[in-house]
Amino acid sequence: MDAWGALLDAYSLPFMARALMVLLVLSLVAGIVGVLVNLRGLEFISDGLTHAVFPGIAIGFVWGGREGLFAGAIVAAVLTAVVLAVLMRRAVPVDAAIAIVFTAMFSIGVIVVSRETNYVGQLEQLLFGRLLTISVVEVVQTVVICAIALLLVAVTLKEQLFRAFDRTGSSAVGYRPFVLDLVLNVAIALVVVAASSAVGTLLVLAVLIVPGAVARLVTVRLWLLFPVAAVFAAVAAWLGLSLGYLASVGAGVNLPSGATVVLVLVSGYALALVGRLLLDRVRALRPLPAAVR
Amino acid sequence: MNENDSQPRSTAPLALHVAGASFAYAQTPALEDVTFDLRAGEAVALIGPNGSGKSTLLKGVLGLIHRTKGTVEVLGESPAPAGAVGYVPQADELDPEFPVTLEQVVMMGRYRSLGWLRLPGKRDRAHVAAALEAVGLAERARTRFGELSGGQQQRGLLARALASGPRLLLLDEPFNGLDQENRNALVDTVKRLKADGVAVLVSTHDLELARDVCESVLLLNGGQVAFGPLDEVLSLENVQRTFRSVGVELDEHTVVVPGHTGH
Repeated sequence: MDAWGALLDAYSLPFMARALMVLLVLSLVAGIVGVLVNLRGLEFISDGLTHAVFPGIAIGFVWGGREGLFAGAIVAAVLTAVVLAVLMRRAVPVDAAIAIVFTAMFSIGVIVVSRETNYVGQLEQLLFGRLLTISVVEVVQTVVICAIALLLVAVTLKEQLFRAFDRTGSSAVGYRPFVLDLVLNVAIALVVVAASSAVGTLLVLAVLIVPGAVARLVTVRLWLLFPVAAVFAAVAAWLGLSLGYLASVGAGVNLPSGATVVLVLVSGYALALVGRLLLDRVRALRPLPAAVR
Repeated sequence: MNENDSQPRSTAPLALHVAGASFAYAQTPALEDVTFDLRAGEAVALIGPNGSGKSTLLKGVLGLIHRTKGTVEVLGESPAPAGAVGYVPQADELDPEFPVTLEQVVMMGRYRSLGWLRLPGKRDRAHVAAALEAVGLAERARTRFGELSGGQQQRGLLARALASGPRLLLLDEPFNGLDQENRNALVDTVKRLKADGVAVLVSTHDLELARDVCESVLLLNGGQVAFGPLDEVLSLENVQRTFRSVGVELDEHTVVVPGHTGH
């Protein structure tokens, strides 16, 4: 069977086109935000955010149905981002507090959803997404939310990089760490919200963290990190969605699309890691030119 | 040079005026009752044991920690006028794996004057090039920051502070662990800056450095032990009081305190 032909046909199906659209927008933005997550070492905080946004999504879902969940989620996301920025002001490690508060939030979300009929099915969709049944309204919502997240990061990008590199130096010239943390946290939270319908609130962590980590392995050039992460995420998204489709149509294997995308992302990371290690080994074997020594 | 040492040596305008200032982290007092002046084109050395409040004072001048009482004025203003103060942190506090070039680090010194959305332009690149030239690292501009030696990183951070055109420069232990070449390069740069009218406040363990570039010394130990012209203040008795140890010795190069490594 001609896989390329099948794929072309696939993306002419409206539901596949919508899925691809949402995934591409999401992965581009998550890739860019994810570079900052990586440079700031905010992986754990991001994980916390994915959990904390969940009750907002659940409440929004219960009140407003599938297309209302974004409203609840955004409220929860912004609230959480503020709480986090306040916690980050303290110099002491706050990991325990974050873990406790956010697991509690997550449990609240689970309880809210459990009041619904078809509890297991609903929960699964919220946690792992339902990429192939996204509506046009949800596509628009996702694009708008991603655009806001991208704008927040774009406006503060050089200041965020300064803070990531040198926290004290950045405050010393007058940047307020609380403001920068709040803006970045809100951007991360918005990506989590935007991802909730596509890949779900749990799997979004991979979309946020893996592309940035891959970019770090691929290049040490600052301004290349962002396009590398975004392009890698987008290619992985396309590949994951296509693989899921081909497996389903060609082999009759039903792969959950969100999870497939995540596995492609992680495989890409593994490849990049192996490539980096090999390259480092080759460089270590080759004698350095005299000028560098 | 003024022949009478008890008179102020200079009538240059005040760059930094600190009077009766105390600083605290949260509720814990960190530094009590500091009073000194620093004039344009001059340098003050901050000397004291670890935890004596040297970094606290620098951060207090920057407005990064809470001042519980007293006055801190930069160029007669409080808080300091925007862009007037340049701060040079210790290079070893930074992540050597961070993917930035030296040039990009120095460009950070221009961000504040650029404002939020604007990207650096020709003028900013010229400032960066001049700052790198001033610290003697122009040919390393494209090198990744983490690949530079510790001394070169320190000079790079000085260049970053210079790129913003400060009138007052705060240096936090800039000479820790530097080799002679980097040390000389840094001393030369600081001397040239002073000649251009920049005021310098530098915390250091290196008394030779203090003698090389500073007019005055501020001895700290949780509070102010002494302040004044270098020759008068840097007596064995004062240094012993500062380090709270009678076993302290004073040689040309460093404060030698038993059980104190100088870092």
